Amino acid sequence: MGRMLATVLIAGLLILDVMLPATPLGRRGTDPAPRVEVEGAVGTVGQAMPDFTLPDLDGQPVRLSDFRGKRVILTFERSLDW
Amino acid sequence: MCYGARMPRAYSVLCGVVGTAFVLLGAVFFGISLTALAPGASSPLRFPLGPNGFYFVAFTGTALVAWGGCLLGTARRGGGRSIGTATALGLVLAAFYRMSAWLMGDIAWAGELPRLEAGLFLVLALGFVWLRPPRRATGVA
Repeated sequence: MGRMLATVLIAGLLILDVMLPATPLGRRGTDPAPRVEVEGAVGTVGQAMPDFTLPDLDGQPVRLSDFRGKRVILTFERSLDW
Repeated sequence: MCYGARMPRAYSVLCGVVGTAFVLLGAVFFGISLTALAPGASSPLRFPLGPNGFYFVAFTGTALVAWGGCLLGTARRGGGRSIGTATALGLVLAAFYRMSAWLMGDIAWAGELPRLEAGLFLVLALGFVWLRPPRRATGVA
């Protein structure tokens, strides 16, 4: 009885493992895919920052020059958008 | 199911193979963690772990060495139903964690490896469940 029950439970997990979706549901963690290289975007204190484009949280491109004349704060942090 | 004449031999082989793998893996985990403690040492791993991570990996290594030692002892003596039950449970828990972590995307850099490991652990757990001797053969639970 115990052996059969254990077999059913383990076999169920095995089937679940095979049927897991092809890509993880969550996006948190160490996925290197969102890494973006920005060439030439090296600022110098006292001078205007070179223009560059980066994707926002929705993946839409945002140019630094779109905010010309406004105060801009750039933050880089790990996303927990699970 | 009848406990066939070849079952004890197959169970001993399974315990021996898994026990050897656990001892070796545990020794590697412990060795890597110990090496990382050296002054000026850099992590030999390709993923970030940090001192806290190595602290737990070292404990995992010691536990694997002890676990594997118990399995090797069972392989030499034969019998030993309880270690098979406990090992199957441990493998199922490990597989469940891997499946959950994979689903969350926490270790996406490893690709399909967590799922494959989970599948291997579950197959091994089935082996321990089916090959372990029945209660009447060992006299112990």
